[in-house]
Amino acid sequence: MSFARQVDARPDATALVAKGRLISYGELGDLVATASARLDGLDTTGREPIAVSATKTPHTIAMVLACLKARLPVVLPPATLPEATLQRLVDKARCRHLLDADGTGPARAGTTPAPGVPGNPDDVAFILTTSGSTGIPKLVPLSAGAVERFADWAAGQFDLGPGASVLNHAPLNFDLCLLDVWATLHHGGQVVLVDPDAATNGRYLIDAIDDNAVTVVQAVPMAHQLMVDAACDADRQLTSVRHLIFTGDHLPARCLTRLPGVFPASRFYNIYGCTETNDSFMHEVDRGALPLDGVPLGTPLPGVDAVVLDDDGNEITGPGQGELVVATPFQSAGYLGADPAAPNPFVPAPAGRPPGISDRYYRTGDVVRRDGDGLLYLEGRNDFQVKVRGTRLNIAVVEQVLLDHDQVAEAVVLAVPDPVAGHLLHVVLRRVPGATVNTLALRQHCARHLPTAAIPSTLRLSEDPLPRTSTGKVDRQSLTQILRSPQSEATVARKEPAR
Amino acid sequence: MNHIEHIKSFLITEFLPGVQASELTTEYDLLTNGVVDSLGLLKLIAWVESEFQVTVNDAALDPDNFRTVDAINAFVARASHPVKAG
Repeated sequence: MSFARQVDARPDATALVAKGRLISYGELGDLVATASARLDGLDTTGREPIAVSATKTPHTIAMVLACLKARLPVVLPPATLPEATLQRLVDKARCRHLLDADGTGPARAGTTPAPGVPGNPDDVAFILTTSGSTGIPKLVPLSAGAVERFADWAAGQFDLGPGASVLNHAPLNFDLCLLDVWATLHHGGQVVLVDPDAATNGRYLIDAIDDNAVTVVQAVPMAHQLMVDAACDADRQLTSVRHLIFTGDHLPARCLTRLPGVFPASRFYNIYGCTETNDSFMHEVDRGALPLDGVPLGTPLPGVDAVVLDDDGNEITGPGQGELVVATPFQSAGYLGADPAAPNPFVPAPAGRPPGISDRYYRTGDVVRRDGDGLLYLEGRNDFQVKVRGTRLNIAVVEQVLLDHDQVAEAVVLAVPDPVAGHLLHVVLRRVPGATVNTLALRQHCARHLPTAAIPSTLRLSEDPLPRTSTGKVDRQSLTQILRSPQSEATVARKEPAR
Repeated sequence: MNHIEHIKSFLITEFLPGVQASELTTEYDLLTNGVVDSLGLLKLIAWVESEFQVTVNDAALDPDNFRTVDAINAFVARASHPVKAG
């Protein structure tokens, strides 16, 4: 199926719900025709990618569909990107045209037009962005074939066709939109666009679900927590949801335990994936036997091959811990404009893989543990491994322990180099509203669940939400700077009232 | 003599920034809960020696003497007024 087929076959069916307004497939088709005419007015003879600012509007979606139809690669720079970073991103992608948010203003030129995308430009559909460790995002091109294979899998797995109502929580530049938005529009469901300004308003989210009889919800754990909290506060159940997907992070146990009550008719899935490979693992959670000690990554999706490699690059076949390396039918062929000096996570097939699966694998950088039953569990990032007083630790595990405390809403562990200890762990955390736990009690919580070396040196309470990057991850760099600056420390570490 | 508030004040300044003295109970386990690690213990002992003019000999280096505010206070009291053998 394709979007154009939906427009022809079911023009009156709703395609988008945006700020309470319904837009039918026919209307969206008209918007796409207008966008196509605009594209026709641009010089696209070089087949350079088109940059479309990822403002979440029907016009933006129509422009992306127009680019896909014209077989022009499309880049969606985050709408919140600072101007200078945006320009560098557009230059790196070698875009000739940067189209503004609502698709009405004049196109702006990138500063280095031509010579276009390396490889076969006709084949690239989306160029996704993923946060780099420094500076400007990495560019991840996905072929039209990869996107279509993924859309077909997702539509079959989560019933994204006619009758489906799919909540789109993520910003439009996120890889999650391949499922929420693009797969749904290809297969005939309706997409309910969450207004980015209201994305952290739990009450708004559950109202959006109820008002639009949403059947599919895919979101990061933080959003599920907001929805569950809002539903429990208002004593509401969300009965329309059939498929609820959490992805991108560890789902706290205090969220998991309340999901079945809030979503009485839904199935629950943990999905694991990277922007570079798209989704690769899925685990359906048995609502009658919740895995409170951690949700497994699950089993590889159809066509996905995965291996666990130890530090020396040897495959771990039994129980053990190592880096997850995957090949998926949905993956990128490699970064665009990558720094040749940087290590390339796209690698040849590890020794011993059966021929014919894929000649290119992706090193995820994620450390997984395989248990005795063969199930994989995410342990953390391998770049989050630090040594504290000679003991090797994964700071993601420390974060997970803190997040499992029922009065902790957000926690980030920063490993700061220390001349004596190697690294020292500093924690900044925000408690749930009305929390009574103090930092001394949280130390006891850590001591119960972690080796002594992993108990943080300092724990600071923040009254405000922790700063996040444009891709929604906790902004470690700015928190590290706050920690180092004694003057602004007080704003993060507001003192607790004496009892 | 009771040095509890004085000991608490040092511990908070040195190891527990942002914590109120009233939160730190005198039986809170400073070692198990990672407030005072092995390096911190040396620092704490040095402070006790200079602040209270006592000598911590090898036999007194038992970490349990520094496990809680109560234990530190009791140790300071013992070390300042050694019980003379009859």
